[in-house]
Amino acid sequence: MDVWGFRNPVGLATLIKRELVRTYKVINQVVWPPVITTVLYVLVFGLGLGSRVANIGGVPYAAYLIPGLIMLQVIDQTYGESSSSVFQGRFMSSIQELLVAPLSAAELVTGFIVSSILRALAIALLILAVGFLMVHTLPENWALYFLMILLVAALFGGIGIIFGLLAEKFDHIAVFTTFVITPLVFVGGVFTSMQFLPPLVRRLSLFNPMFYMIDAFRYAFTGRSDVPLWVSVGIVSVLALLAVGTALRMTALGYKLRV
Amino acid sequence: MNASHNAALPALRVDRLYKRYGEFTAVDGISLEVARGDFFGFLGPNGAGKTTTINAIVGLATLTSGTIEIFGYDNVRDWRDARRRVGLAPQEYNFDRYLSIRDVLIYQAGYFGLRGPAVRARADGLLERFGLTSKAKDTFMRLSGGMKRRLSLARAMIHEPELLILDEPTAGVDVELRIELWELLRELNAAGTTIILTTHYLEEAESLCRNIAIVEGGRIAAMESTANLLARRDSTTLTVTVEKPIGVAPPALLALGVGYERGGRSMHFENVAPSHIARTLSELEAQGYVIANVDFRHSSLQDVFLDLVRH
Repeated sequence: MDVWGFRNPVGLATLIKRELVRTYKVINQVVWPPVITTVLYVLVFGLGLGSRVANIGGVPYAAYLIPGLIMLQVIDQTYGESSSSVFQGRFMSSIQELLVAPLSAAELVTGFIVSSILRALAIALLILAVGFLMVHTLPENWALYFLMILLVAALFGGIGIIFGLLAEKFDHIAVFTTFVITPLVFVGGVFTSMQFLPPLVRRLSLFNPMFYMIDAFRYAFTGRSDVPLWVSVGIVSVLALLAVGTALRMTALGYKLRV
Repeated sequence: MNASHNAALPALRVDRLYKRYGEFTAVDGISLEVARGDFFGFLGPNGAGKTTTINAIVGLATLTSGTIEIFGYDNVRDWRDARRRVGLAPQEYNFDRYLSIRDVLIYQAGYFGLRGPAVRARADGLLERFGLTSKAKDTFMRLSGGMKRRLSLARAMIHEPELLILDEPTAGVDVELRIELWELLRELNAAGTTIILTTHYLEEAESLCRNIAIVEGGRIAAMESTANLLARRDSTTLTVTVEKPIGVAPPALLALGVGYERGGRSMHFENVAPSHIARTLSELEAQGYVIANVDFRHSSLQDVFLDLVRH
């Protein structure tokens, strides 16, 4: 079976369109909350408490926060997009509409990942607009800005597919968000630079993949990073390849799909 | 050569299909062939392996071993060509809850690689044909049970498949709609679509299908034309209900082969020729029985089915 084949472009485009329709239908759950949460973070931590914090590397604290907050929401929402779509599809059996069609595993996985990337771009641009209006910050390096969103969205889109296939109930989807994503993102440098952490925590941060995502993404805004840019981009790229590769393998095997 | 255009190839050929889940064997070496243009019944009790076989045909289940060809296309090796030719109306509703029912049809066509004005026109035509036009903008959750069945059939047909597989298409629909669906399926079949039908309504299979396979325990228990299957048990039964409980049947009735239970009110006469019905009833009256009701029937697919699955 040609799991790698891309011979049904109309089918792939239809799947992406369907995912966008789904995002639009649940816009009050998946698009506005991240934007509102970001506004609150900027108001309370950035402009409120941040006014008492010295600049970090010459960047005002509120502006320093924006890249981390965008990454936080991109990670959360891309994981949510693919995991909920795959799991709901399995739970309601509606994924069978895709499985009986001439769509390869590569086309299915690409459909979910591209949808995750599009959702990530929309949310990132909305939060960026909020950041620009509130603290007048914009990326200096747009290419890196888009590259990091693409890599992180592919990584968490892939992880979302994996957990969407593994999960037996909705709880299992939330477990990964609650116990893995949120803690790692929060200690991964959203709110502070690694330079301000105690040496032991700083060393531990190097094992936190979220740290590299946020560090490289912040570089697109500030031109500064805690570790060399190529290290962060390299690590995130390898992780994205692993996640997408695993999602592709599971889909090609029909894991919990073709029983 | 395009396999689909080779008219000698059957619509479906299943060869020694096995499907195991751990120790459990759901499909135990099923082989069958469905000719182009056939109306084929795939019958069996619950858990016999019908739906698993269908899932294997349409790609919803992987095969443990065996091969499946759809119009000559192997459904593993040439899976895209095979899938394009099949439409499935599954037993359980599996519609996309985020789409209107018109979009359910249009998106399903899209997954099969079809789009444009022709697809939209076909979707509208199917909604019209199935009496769903007024619900076009609703999601499937707002449809009645009968409407969901019709939508399922419309979705299976949106990409104009040459082979239509219907898993319990009339389960839970009222008699009127069932008869409407029968007519529609006959029309489709007459227009050249090969149809495979599973159903628990055996009179449905008897009325619609030209050929029938009966599965039991994951194996084919019988596979032949509906006429031949019915001829396996070519019998008639005359059942007479009498006014008063039966004591001991008199010798004259025993000579006619009466079957009865003491204290009951029904007598059965097997294989009575229609020309002998009047004689049998006269004999009953002559013996002093007052006849309350008379029923005469030929053996049905149900009798054959029960014979096969009980063995």
